Amino acid sequence: MIQGEEEKTASLEFSEIVTSRLGGETIRRCYQCGTCASSCPVAKITERFNPREIIKLSLLGKKDEVLSGEAIWLCCSCYNCQERCPQKVEIADLIYALRNIAFEEGYIPNIYSDFASALLDDGRIVKISRFYEDKRPALGLPPLQPTGVDALRKILSATGFDRLQQKEKSQ
Amino acid sequence: MDEVKVGVFLSDCGNQLSKILDFDALTNYVKKISDVTLVGRRSEFRRGEGLQAIKNAIESEKINRVVVAESLPKLSEVNIVQAVEEAGLNPYLVETIDLKHHCAWPHRETPKEATEKAKAMLLAAIERAKLLEPIEKLEFPTLKSTLIIGGGIAGMQAAIDLADLGFEVNLIEKAPFLGGLATRASRFFPTDDCAICIQSPVSDVKTITHTSRKCVYRSGFSEIPNLNILTTSKVVSVEGVPGNYKVTIEKKPRYVDEMKCIACDLCTTVCPVEVPDEHNAKLKTRKAIYMQVPNVHPPVYVIDESVCKFYDCAKCVKICPTKAINLDQKSEQIILNVGSIIVATGFQEWDSSVIREYHYGDYPDVITNLDLARMIDGFGPTGGAIVRPSDRKPAKKIVMIQCVGSRDRRWKPYCSSICCMISLKHASLIKSAHPDTDITLCYIDIRTTGREHEDYYERAREMGIKFVKGRPSEISRNPETNKLIVDVEDELLKRLLELEADLVVLAPAMVPAEGTKELAELLSIELDKDGFFKEYNAKLRPTETKLRGIYLCGGATFPKDVPTASLHAHSAAIKAVKFLTTGKIVKDQRTAVINEDYCGDCEFCPVTCPYGAISLEETTEGHFVAKVSDLLCEGCGICVGTCPLGAIELRHSRPSQMQAQMKGLMSVNGTSKPLVLAICCSECGHTAVDSSGMAMMKYPANVRVMQVPCTGILQVHQLLDAFKAGAQGVMVVGCKSDGCHYEVGVQKAEKKVELVRILLKEYGIEPERLEMFNMVYIEGNKFAEAAQMMTERIEKLGQLQLMGGS
Amino acid sequence: MTSYALFLGCLIPAHQPNYELSARKSLAKLGIELVDLANMTCCAPPPVQSIDLETSLAIAAYNICLAEEADLDLIILCSGCFESLSMANAMLKADEQLKAKVNKILSKVGKEFLGNKDVKHYLQVLIDDVGLKRLKQSVSKPLTNLKVAAFYGCHALRPSELLKLDDPERPKVLETLIETVGAKSVEYLNKLKCCGGLLKGYSDDLALSLAREKIANITRAGADCVATLCPFCYTALDVGQVLLKGKFNEIYDMPVLHYSELLAFALGIAPKELAITPATHKIKVDKVVSKIS
Repeated sequence: MIQGEEEKTASLEFSEIVTSRLGGETIRRCYQCGTCASSCPVAKITERFNPREIIKLSLLGKKDEVLSGEAIWLCCSCYNCQERCPQKVEIADLIYALRNIAFEEGYIPNIYSDFASALLDDGRIVKISRFYEDKRPALGLPPLQPTGVDALRKILSATGFDRLQQKEKSQ
Repeated sequence: MDEVKVGVFLSDCGNQLSKILDFDALTNYVKKISDVTLVGRRSEFRRGEGLQAIKNAIESEKINRVVVAESLPKLSEVNIVQAVEEAGLNPYLVETIDLKHHCAWPHRETPKEATEKAKAMLLAAIERAKLLEPIEKLEFPTLKSTLIIGGGIAGMQAAIDLADLGFEVNLIEKAPFLGGLATRASRFFPTDDCAICIQSPVSDVKTITHTSRKCVYRSGFSEIPNLNILTTSKVVSVEGVPGNYKVTIEKKPRYVDEMKCIACDLCTTVCPVEVPDEHNAKLKTRKAIYMQVPNVHPPVYVIDESVCKFYDCAKCVKICPTKAINLDQKSEQIILNVGSIIVATGFQEWDSSVIREYHYGDYPDVITNLDLARMIDGFGPTGGAIVRPSDRKPAKKIVMIQCVGSRDRRWKPYCSSICCMISLKHASLIKSAHPDTDITLCYIDIRTTGREHEDYYERAREMGIKFVKGRPSEISRNPETNKLIVDVEDELLKRLLELEADLVVLAPAMVPAEGTKELAELLSIELDKDGFFKEYNAKLRPTETKLRGIYLCGGATFPKDVPTASLHAHSAAIKAVKFLTTGKIVKDQRTAVINEDYCGDCEFCPVTCPYGAISLEETTEGHFVAKVSDLLCEGCGICVGTCPLGAIELRHSRPSQMQAQMKGLMSVNGTSKPLVLAICCSECGHTAVDSSGMAMMKYPANVRVMQVPCTGILQVHQLLDAFKAGAQGVMVVGCKSDGCHYEVGVQKAEKKVELVRILLKEYGIEPERLEMFNMVYIEGNKFAEAAQMMTERIEKLGQLQLMGGS
Repeated sequence: MTSYALFLGCLIPAHQPNYELSARKSLAKLGIELVDLANMTCCAPPPVQSIDLETSLAIAAYNICLAEEADLDLIILCSGCFESLSMANAMLKADEQLKAKVNKILSKVGKEFLGNKDVKHYLQVLIDDVGLKRLKQSVSKPLTNLKVAAFYGCHALRPSELLKLDDPERPKVLETLIETVGAKSVEYLNKLKCCGGLLKGYSDDLALSLAREKIANITRAGADCVATLCPFCYTALDVGQVLLKGKFNEIYDMPVLHYSELLAFALGIAPKELAITPATHKIKVDKVVSKIS
């Protein structure tokens, strides 16, 4: 989210903060039918994650509990819930929105912090090692085209992404 | 034309109004207006001596136009107009205004200004009265007969009512047997009677033994003399007008003579064709020749022509002892002449096979409530046993799933209202008959809102039926045991469950019956956004459509239970014949009239008229002109506002009459504020002005109110005329945008206001001088605020200077 | 000759030359030209979307712009990249306001998203551009007797409204393609369930549980191998089996191959030309190779 909009949303109710974010627009449609929880492969193997519960907590305004918890990071993004939701709530997308908000508030799991750094450094979240790059001709693969790192850095700067990353670094 | 003599009658409401308005000044003012021959003043004129005074004035030929200033004309006018007619004057030569609620009370703090406004109101009324014309009463003959489309519970109930009332009733049903969903439903809540018994509601016909109170077996339904029942029949076309419809019916061949069949069943024993019986959820088969259920009407077999081998077989023809089978029978066209039509086509279960994760249609052991009802029914294909369709083993573990397709944005967003009850009824019936059955009902919410409905929920719990709050995500099948597995989250336990089931019963959404869309087009009636027939007004007119003569009842407007469908049917029956009882429709000719010389055959008006009252007819010169049906015209004037050539006028609201009013209202100011004209529709806008007065709200006296039938009558030039007449600002006040009482009028007015604002801008006039307002009767405060707001706005804008003066 | 701009993503060039080689060689044999564009970046898959959705959209849009500038549609091998780029393409085409917002960001790098190109999974290219008939005719070594478990993964199919590759509840395209190259498609329990790949790094335990269920179900169904469409799924099932051995002492020995590898075999390309090594295939695929020779 672009800087400046943060102050405006601070006074809103939490579910409204979510609806005002990309991906979270549909959260208030939820009528807690539980189809998502029942469709979720992660919820099936652990009680630590339940998409219906995350939405319920968000609708009730339990901002800190949702953002500081581990649950929102346990979604495997399979989109089964979003496919089957009878109210067309964009569940997987709103979990991204919740993660986005969590990131801004400084709740950042290490692995995501690593992803962010990799993106800023290499323009990719997984570095292409020299080993594999050098092997390409022997394998019969054309040389790798250069990665648009500069363009990516400019985009990350324009959206304030790099600022997020720095925020974490400073914590 | 006779000389015009206007009588003006001012009521001062027990001298209350004269505390604010100067009645002497008003009387003097009115006396000086040309053609005014009599001015009277009393406490009230709508009854008693006041009313008599008006009658005397007419009878003594002192006046031939009546202007009455009386409190709440919408209510008091009825008496006045009736009295005028009794006195021998055409009742349309009357104009009423409300000096109390439109003048004295809102402007009570500025009595001098109020008096000046009252003068303008009187002048406007008088000038308009001079231009009024007598309007005739027309009579249209009607037939004492009706057509009911749909032979389910609602249709049958309405048919009985109307036949008992002495009307000729034609009941048509597209299936070979009457009864509709009742023939499959096993039992009905809240009384758990056999559904089939309720097919035939109580009739007064006595048989030799006695009049039965409920049982179809003995009710003599088919013996009611003035009830004509046509099965295998559909409506093909409808022509005519209310009171006189000509309906063409196509009766498909039954191939069995209704007069000869004795229902001996010999034919089925020789028929070689056996097909899955759809009526019985394909749990059994039937032959090509069949009868549906015992004790249906008519008790005559029918041949399914899609599978019969006809003359390649003809075994049934040979064996029939009464020679009742006729393979040469053809479709018949039957013409029915009826006065009104009732649509009772009902609803059906939605096909939930599109929710692929539930596997309906795919796994045979996933069924619907209607399928289950066939098993519960003692008459049914399993004799009352609840079995798995796949292997016919008893179903000992049943899972029921609610809201399949209902309350679902992807499919049907509404709640189908009866499914919770149906499922609870089924669960209770099964548990009663087979107590060792394990039943779990998965729900999002349980809705048991009607009388005695909560009892079902209570009983179900007491019987040990299990409830899981959660909507299942998937039904899968164990390949080894062939049992079903239902994945659901029990939200209250916060636990993911995998329920094993022999049988899964879905409660699918309820949707309009097949053929609804086509029928709506044939009858020119509307469907709502969910595809059901749209009732005219959900609160007060639930069985009417916007067209007089066509009525709705039963599940055709929305899924409903039997008690509600019954009520609906009784209501529709009354509505459908209310206007037929005297043998004629009497209607005032306060309708639109086309000036054929101007009509350019552009075809806008027939398309715009919400009531289909305008048609195009060929003239002798070979081109088309529009013609208005006085019977169908509702007098809204939307066609007037639509015609680009001004070829249409609405009697009693002609442009000349409207302009006289405008000029009159703008003739006297008397305030220091700029004159604002508020043109209000007679349904919501003008009543909002009434209510602002009744609630003693205040707004400035420079705001002058004029009534039109519907704001849709306004033409572009009339809005400009208002400024020419002296208005500095113009308000157009109509119903809410989606609530026009004439369907589309206010939306048309909104568009015109937009257009005129553009024109005003072109002419160098501030477009904000004209504005559209939408409000309803109870929003009197909205009117007062709008009037105040416009006044302030116009004051800021300053004086409007029109070239050539105003 | 139909041409597409190839979007490789990160994982394939980083770890899975077998995927890249098999795809390049088989598509070339089928008359599809793959153009390598410069300056592509990460596609901004779920890990990046988790950090900021708007940034991800902008990154995805940027990559699509490169294809638009080259006047080519995009062909994608990794389902994760397919989901990310398809979603961005569909969302920006449908929402003018969002498009304007993203273009404002892209203007900083001199790009403008126009929305005039398509993003296709290579499966779609096989169906639409090559066609099943021509594909079957091009098969010189049908994989007869090979029982293949089709594994779609999640992001080839969902969210189906935006991706529109196939029916998300009853997809057929992969099974059809498996059968077209002569193999037999084998059904197994919970076929469409997620492999858990994206949970890796945050909760390795949960990721492994999900992978374990998939491998167990596939094994129980009697498949000779799994056909995958995504490097994430591939790793989850292939490397996953190594972890399963380590953690639970369970050995499944279920070879995991990308569909493109099976396709390449069927088109007559020798396995040794496809970088099939213990590095790229942790679970040896010798059984598969011998079965089809």
